[in-house]
Amino acid sequence: MEITLNSQNTKKFARGILNNIVWIILIFCIVMFSSLIPGYFNIINYINIISNAAFIGILAIAEAICLISGNLDLSIESVAGFSAIFSAWLSGVTAYSSSGLNLNPYITLVLCLVMGITVGYINSFLILRFKINSFLVTLSTYIIIRGVSITLTKGAGISMLPDSFRLVQTIKILNISLIPIIMIVLYIIFYFILENTRLGAHIFIIGGNINAAYNFGINVKGIIYKVFMLSGALAALAGWLLTAKANGANPTMASGMLFEVLAAVILGGVSLQGGFGSLIGVFAGVLVLSSIRSALNIMSISPFITEVIRGSLVLVAILIDSIKKLFFK
Amino acid sequence: METILKVERISKSFGSVVALNNVSFEIFQNEIVGLVGDNGAGKSTLIKILSGNFPPDKGNIYLNGLKINFKSTMDAKKLGIETVYQDLSLCSNLDSISNLFIGREIVKNFMGLKILQKKKMEIKTIEVMRKMDINIPSVKEKVEFLSGGQRQAVSIGRFVGWSQNLALLDEPTAALGVRETGKVLELILKIKEEKKLSIILISHNLQHVFKIADRIIVLRLGNIAGIKERSSTNPDEIVSLMTGAVSIKK
Repeated sequence: MEITLNSQNTKKFARGILNNIVWIILIFCIVMFSSLIPGYFNIINYINIISNAAFIGILAIAEAICLISGNLDLSIESVAGFSAIFSAWLSGVTAYSSSGLNLNPYITLVLCLVMGITVGYINSFLILRFKINSFLVTLSTYIIIRGVSITLTKGAGISMLPDSFRLVQTIKILNISLIPIIMIVLYIIFYFILENTRLGAHIFIIGGNINAAYNFGINVKGIIYKVFMLSGALAALAGWLLTAKANGANPTMASGMLFEVLAAVILGGVSLQGGFGSLIGVFAGVLVLSSIRSALNIMSISPFITEVIRGSLVLVAILIDSIKKLFFK
Repeated sequence: METILKVERISKSFGSVVALNNVSFEIFQNEIVGLVGDNGAGKSTLIKILSGNFPPDKGNIYLNGLKINFKSTMDAKKLGIETVYQDLSLCSNLDSISNLFIGREIVKNFMGLKILQKKKMEIKTIEVMRKMDINIPSVKEKVEFLSGGQRQAVSIGRFVGWSQNLALLDEPTAALGVRETGKVLELILKIKEEKKLSIILISHNLQHVFKIADRIIVLRLGNIAGIKERSSTNPDEIVSLMTGAVSIKK
């Protein structure tokens, strides 16, 4: 009995370390880069790391919520990309390749959010009504929506948007633009929702044991609808912010972000099996990736190698998740 | 004696498998009824119908004389029917508090958000655990780190905490040792008296059933093979009913 208790405690300790390994990696990265790379140890660079983390960061909230509920949403990247080009298309000044509608950017934001929520609704409808795996459903919508983005402008990009579109980028508080501040506010809000509201509790229950959720009368379908609609809305917001920051958009915007998002979320301790994870860890995961990206930029390392490093990070993250599953069940 | 639950000619099939066939019985107030039968007799199907997991194909159920038609497990819970599931229905990723309160979290409305009242839930959980006299390292410990007996305790805790009219206990002692089993059986009797509950107890262990049940319903291949008063029967007769060695109309 004594021995099993001890091994339980050792297990718990090791599990605790693996769950929080993201902080060790983050500190390791920052300390190592700051001491080894000239120009890294610099407040402006640190602000940049956080600023550049905003888009991956917002998408990571969406993915984390989906994964905790035991689902996967691959469509977030395409929703963000479509939201980017769609908002530029709606508000573009030049008639060339934009709609010529000249819509107010904040109306486009509302339309983008509606679009994201609709995609989330369709995803969850297909998952629930036809009992299809969320991976397969969102893989399809991921491809379809990217296709729609390219079709919208026939592959062309749109630039020179109204100045009011760029306010979130141009207004600065303590030299930090509104975009990373929005991200941090979203982290606080969604952390609160996950940890302190009934919706959050139900998301963890569904991810942990969906049968128990049914047995105790939780509206499982309603929660999954909410999860995917929130995810779509967050992705759409991220896309709109991308356009605001870049003062324009092209149909391939946000491509490749999905894998960085998955790496950040899994590295942050969210389990692929569902029911486990915290947005604090996810935030750290996002910062790890951003600090590595910044290091690669400063050292002007070839973008081809960047892909190799990104891919390896996803692999490392998934390995950590599997080790948890294999050795600590 | 007052009838609390009346089950009338219930049938349920899964594809070509007939799980329950014209099953009728009554449960009286403040009694414990043992529901026994071999594997595949239809015990769990019956429990799941009564707890609202799925409806019967045919037949009626009356609770306190009113016909009931559950659309979900929530409906059953609202009428005070509490179930302890055989699989325990625990979320191992969460602590005892969250597990006790699955689907019935104490919340406060704040701007449309349902804020969890964690402290209140913790106090109630500790109260339930104390009532059960079962030691758990901490109610904030994740259930996956608890022992088999402790997990079962959390599952039974829902019965202790919430049942009002009727409790359905599906193998509540399956994962327990001898001493713990004795404690749980005593607990069931105590809670029954305290809340004037009616209880349906499913168990493979006839000894347990004979220890606390007032009556015993025997299911065999989806049919009622017999309903006996405990005082007028013995384990041998129940076993023969379960296996079909004695005809129903003996």
